[in-house]
Amino acid sequence: MDELKINMGQQGLKETVLGTGLCTGCGACVNLCPYQKAFKDHTIMLFPCDIAEGRCYAYCPRTPTDLAQLRSNAFDPEDLTPEIGAIKAFYITRASDSELRARAQHGGTVSALMRLALEEGIIDEALLSQGTPNLLPAGRSCGNSEAVAGLAGSKMVVSPTVAEFNRAARGSSQRIGLVATPCQALALAKMRSRPLENDAICIDKLTLVIGLFCGWAFDWREIRALIASKVSLTDVTGMDIPPSKYHSLEVYTRDGATLSIDLDEVVPCVRPACHYCFDMTAEFSDLAVGSARLGEGWEVARGWNQVIARTQLGVELMERARKTGVLEFHAVPEGNLERLKRASLGKKQTALENLRKLSGKADDLVYLDPRDPVFKTLMD
Amino acid sequence: MSKLTHKDADTQLLVMGNEAIVRGALEAGVHVAAGYPGTPSSEIIERLSECAKERNLYVEWSTNEKVASEVAASGSFAGLRSLCTMKQNGVNVASDFLIHLAISGTRAGYVAVVCDDPGALSSVNEAETAYLAKQIELPLIEPGDFQEAKDMTRWAFELSEEIKLPVMMRSVTRLSHASGNIVTGALPADTHNRAEFKCDNPNFLDPESGAVISAALNLTHPVLQGKMKQTQSLFEECPFNTYSGPERPELLMITRSSAYLYCKEALNELALEERVGLLKIGTTWPLPQKLVRRHLKTTDKVLIVEEVMPFLEENVKVLAAEMAADVGVKTFYGKNDGSIPSCGELNPDFVIGALVRILAIEDYIPMTPDYQQKSLMAAFINSPPRDMTFCPGCPHRASFFCLHNALTLDNRKGFVCGDIGCYAMAVQSCGFETAKTLHAMGSGAGVASGFGKLDQFGLDQPVIAVCGDSTFFHAVLPALVNAAHHRSNMTLVVLDNGGTAMTGFQPHPGLTFDLMHDSAPKVDIARVSEAIGATVRISDPFDIAGTQAVLDELINNPGLKVLILRQMCALSPEKKNRKKFSLRVDASLCKGDSCGCNRLCTRIWSCPGLVWDTENRRARIDEVLCSGCGVCADICPQGAIIREEA
Repeated sequence: MDELKINMGQQGLKETVLGTGLCTGCGACVNLCPYQKAFKDHTIMLFPCDIAEGRCYAYCPRTPTDLAQLRSNAFDPEDLTPEIGAIKAFYITRASDSELRARAQHGGTVSALMRLALEEGIIDEALLSQGTPNLLPAGRSCGNSEAVAGLAGSKMVVSPTVAEFNRAARGSSQRIGLVATPCQALALAKMRSRPLENDAICIDKLTLVIGLFCGWAFDWREIRALIASKVSLTDVTGMDIPPSKYHSLEVYTRDGATLSIDLDEVVPCVRPACHYCFDMTAEFSDLAVGSARLGEGWEVARGWNQVIARTQLGVELMERARKTGVLEFHAVPEGNLERLKRASLGKKQTALENLRKLSGKADDLVYLDPRDPVFKTLMD
Repeated sequence: MSKLTHKDADTQLLVMGNEAIVRGALEAGVHVAAGYPGTPSSEIIERLSECAKERNLYVEWSTNEKVASEVAASGSFAGLRSLCTMKQNGVNVASDFLIHLAISGTRAGYVAVVCDDPGALSSVNEAETAYLAKQIELPLIEPGDFQEAKDMTRWAFELSEEIKLPVMMRSVTRLSHASGNIVTGALPADTHNRAEFKCDNPNFLDPESGAVISAALNLTHPVLQGKMKQTQSLFEECPFNTYSGPERPELLMITRSSAYLYCKEALNELALEERVGLLKIGTTWPLPQKLVRRHLKTTDKVLIVEEVMPFLEENVKVLAAEMAADVGVKTFYGKNDGSIPSCGELNPDFVIGALVRILAIEDYIPMTPDYQQKSLMAAFINSPPRDMTFCPGCPHRASFFCLHNALTLDNRKGFVCGDIGCYAMAVQSCGFETAKTLHAMGSGAGVASGFGKLDQFGLDQPVIAVCGDSTFFHAVLPALVNAAHHRSNMTLVVLDNGGTAMTGFQPHPGLTFDLMHDSAPKVDIARVSEAIGATVRISDPFDIAGTQAVLDELINNPGLKVLILRQMCALSPEKKNRKKFSLRVDASLCKGDSCGCNRLCTRIWSCPGLVWDTENRRARIDEVLCSGCGVCADICPQGAIIREEA
């Protein structure tokens, strides 16, 4: 009897990712063909495609992946940690530009680094996420450093930035940098492994990936409905999740006020796919950036970022940031990295538990390989 | 000048069945004719309009069949012979008026010509009109060939005047749309009849000068039934009921309408003319009882051959039961015993099959098994599968592409309530399977009006209805008013292609000219919709991105919305044979099989003007079929379809 062949094209993607609620909305399968579209926080299949092996399936961060292979492609083996991926260096930083900081979610490090990468010619096009008044972010391309600052700030809803990369990679830019969530960084790492023929020309333009720490993202329709029930959406200027002890979502409004929504009310708005994500620290990036934790307390810490440099390029960019004075550096408090590792491990454990529930089998992690050294230890 | 106004009698003309009907009406001196387009009836009004000036007629395309039957009634009331036309679906629309008209009665000859469509060749149903005539209590006559189509039309006016009732005449596609010879009768010399509605007699039961009303049923219904009795006795000697065959046939066939021709052909093919009798009924309702009795007495076996419904079969059986003591017990063959198919069109083969079985004819071989095998192979195995599809350049393809994409992107399981027109095909792949309900004209809007209220029960899917521009006036207006008044959440998409396109570009009230090509006030769909209270947008369906954006806006807002998608039908006189763009596929840009597009152009968009070149494994424009609309240039993700001003 012939072995049942799994379709590795749109049909396979539909069955294993979209149909199972695993789609992260990263946009990796979008803008490669006329069939997949990112629309209002959903990945939509417009028409069926019968190609047996497609880039949509190959690039998706939720189709089965040999993560060990990806790690060895991208990182020095001695840098790898099971909890938070590769670490070459760890920093606490913020943008020196106070205007940028004011617009940014926390310390403005991501915007400052992207701006620097453009100015230094490391990249010639930056792809970021742009917020809109109805809370629905869009992928946005910046060819110059001024534009970057305008896009600062967390969006809390996934923006299909990888779709924007798929579009931009066919354009004239040669070195493209992206700000990516962990799922997007994984998709980009899968692309870089060139799983299919004829991909190299576009993929080799991918130069810099700045990852974002991510606990989860919201489902746009759900969070929009929740916030709209409390405040006019046009008045919302930003949102943030403070450290866990606050147990709340903060919504900042035009008049300078902060609305605090209890996390219990907020959690049902989390995108279901996020419950199956193992990655908190964007392990497949050059640099990964999140909010800082400092001894001085949250009010001070929220103005800073913590940064993991994972690759040589990441370290070099941080050094240039130090030399040019683009970033200010804060001493890394004792135990910060360990706390980060614990938090990251917690997310991994939750993901494995949820994936086992989803498959109904103790040794079936759906898109993750139970033999992967990182997950193997956690499962024992 | 139309050949149908040929002045001489006893002249042979080769005409369509519908033209024979027109000649009959002209010979009868018809003055007022109104109809709503519908295959296979449309040519009657069109040909009459061509004779209108010469023969002093008033001819119009009415907004729907009910209005057409009312307009024609005014003529009859005012002393002018009048005609209304419709297809089988239209009788249902007109029936509300006709059932009252039967009660009130008519004055000058009134003929309602109904063209049925057995097998639904150009329809969504194959409804049988005969039952409706019986229900309304009107005489129903059915020509069996072209000459009869003319002669019976002429006679129908005389009959109508004799019994003061509308006469319904039923044709079918194979009669209306086939052609045959007729011999003309004389045309009336004087066509200048004066119209006057005499209504000053206080006695409304006076048929010539009272009010024409259908009220006081206790008085008027017995009058109607008396007229039908009178009609029945007139039918006993009617020359349009014919018999051919032996005096005592082994088998009596009774038939009506175009099945008469199939019966004649079958009898000829089997050389049964000396054994089997053929009674053709032209006066289907009320059935002439004495005639039936006379023929039932001649034989023990009766085969009834008719299309679609067993109307004749049932009514003859009732008479046979009543007459059993006199005529003896008969064995009946027909639809009930399966001798004749219970639905769909008939043909001579079906009749031959029935005769062969009933008469146990053993040596008849319709075709050799070898031929049968070869023809099956040719028809089903060697020919490529072909779906019905929209024409090249059809705006509906673009409209439903936009609808499909907007609803799919929206991701809330939105759907389209379909309607009647070419766009009924939106239930199929050519319309991207977007339409999920399909019923009568205007029903899309009515059903959507209801769906738009079901949020009370948790229905949260976007609701869209579609209709054509002609359908908007025909039957959508009441549904739209209903939706507005009840705050239904729905979007009506009017596929405005500039005419009653499916039936051949008959004008409708939304245009600036009428059937006679005279200028006419345009009733503006957008302004009417706004006045009803809808949010109105207008878009060009060929602007795919723009139309999708408008649709997304509309389905995300509550209340009643109307989107008019305005683009002329590709077959319209304005567009036909005039390419706006010349298109070609740049073979260096089209990546063919190696493109990730998976042949969006020929697999999904599927315009017949765009073909997959199996040799070169690339898309190609079929220059003969391409209408030059240019939309495919926007569909190709590689930009390989080059669009240049033609």
